[in-house]
Amino acid sequence: MTLRARLHRYGPPVLGVLLFCLAWQLIGAYRLAGMTWPPLTAVLAYLADPAHHQLLGRAAGTTFAAVALGYLTGTGIGLGLALLTRLVRPARAGIDRLVALVHATPAIALAPVFMILMSRETIPVAISALAVTYLIYVAATSGLEATKAAHADLFRTLGARPLTAFWRLELPSALPALASGLKLAVPVSFMGAIVGEWFGASRGLGLLMISAMQNFQIPLLWAAVLLTTLTSLILYGLLGLFEAAVHRRFR
Amino acid sequence: MTQATPDAIRLDSVSKSFRLDDGNSVTALEGIDLGLREGEFVAVLGPSGCGKSTVLRLIAGLESASTGEVRIEGRAPSQLAAAHRLGVAFQDHALLPWLSVAQNIALPYRVAGTKVDNARVDALIELVGLTGFRDARPSQLSGGMRQRASIARALVLDPDVLLLDEPFGALDAVTRRHMNVELQRIWSTRTLTTLLVTHSVDEAIFLADRIIVMTGRPGRILREVTVPFPRPRDPSVLRTPEFHAMVDELTLALEPEEAAL
Repeated sequence: MTLRARLHRYGPPVLGVLLFCLAWQLIGAYRLAGMTWPPLTAVLAYLADPAHHQLLGRAAGTTFAAVALGYLTGTGIGLGLALLTRLVRPARAGIDRLVALVHATPAIALAPVFMILMSRETIPVAISALAVTYLIYVAATSGLEATKAAHADLFRTLGARPLTAFWRLELPSALPALASGLKLAVPVSFMGAIVGEWFGASRGLGLLMISAMQNFQIPLLWAAVLLTTLTSLILYGLLGLFEAAVHRRFR
Repeated sequence: MTQATPDAIRLDSVSKSFRLDDGNSVTALEGIDLGLREGEFVAVLGPSGCGKSTVLRLIAGLESASTGEVRIEGRAPSQLAAAHRLGVAFQDHALLPWLSVAQNIALPYRVAGTKVDNARVDALIELVGLTGFRDARPSQLSGGMRQRASIARALVLDPDVLLLDEPFGALDAVTRRHMNVELQRIWSTRTLTTLLVTHSVDEAIFLADRIIVMTGRPGRILREVTVPFPRPRDPSVLRTPEFHAMVDELTLALEPEEAAL
């Protein structure tokens, strides 16, 4: 790529991020949004200060572990349910409705139920997994229906057994949709874990946000938000690269 | 096996109707009687929408007849596919985008659960003129190259029956003629019962032993013509007066139907 082409491609997004940071800084520095909006540099300085690393590090460790567990559990259940609809086709309509029903129920409304059902430390994982399950289920089921009619005809004329057709055709055809689902599930898993921590968790970035807000520790609140957002964005970006690679290869 | 063998493929008073979404049904084929002898190359020629692809799909076991019977070697078409003895080249090449040319051509082995004969795959790649592209992906190939890979895949298991559903329909006239010459050459190296569906008169005459002309709505057989040119056919056949006379005759046979559309 020439320098000019690179500028065309990466210039606008880089400029956009810079403008966003500048606006944040200016609003904070001139107190345009009041006392609760600190300048970006104040938040970064708070994050960089070694004195805060233990607090933030322990909270982040707990939250990210919940995110990872929720993401993996949700992906596993979503994939399992999607495979079940493929193996037992009559179950498809029922599972579709069940998953949609669970998804339509607000997590906030389910939280009290979770609180009496499981330990407070498990709630973030549960809410995260629930949200991820829905996304992965939808991605996987639509992916399994993405097999092209011409390819299905080919496998029939080759005398493929159902299991062979599944491994060699339906599964590879489902990968692009599934990769998109895996990417979209990243912010959802963070959202689920953070919200889940608001229901009595004893540690985590979500809890830190709530307590910082209540104690007017403004830089701490923003530092926790920024840390969560950046981690989510980086993972989203990495899975975006994975998605692009899968789309190039399987479409 | 040589004396008075019954037809390899038989369609007996076959009709096919499709149910439409609005509850009505449309008759795609009516009263089709057709037989292909073993090792014969038959072309089904007709305008678009005359049901010629449906004839092929019935023989491939992808559709079932509404009335009448389709038999390959006396058995249901699906049994030929299940025995991995059917080769089909589709109008849309139907190559898998995530596999290389060589892997696509080797796919029938993997689907059949038999060991891949790499020497044969390579030989077919050479036969269809794709040497140097064995590791390329379908997206890196031209339309003509994809169709050649698709034909190699149809041939790789040395099938008893080869079905070609307008395999060159999407190609320009020059590439198409070139592909016809190549297919003729490939076909001359073996004997296999072949059905070609096409709307190109030249293609049908150049490749086939016998031509079935169909008319549309509902699809019926209008006439049958035996092609007199001896094999192997050199491309120079395409320039003979006899060839041109036959093209004119068959084009005229198709004409009234096309005008009526």
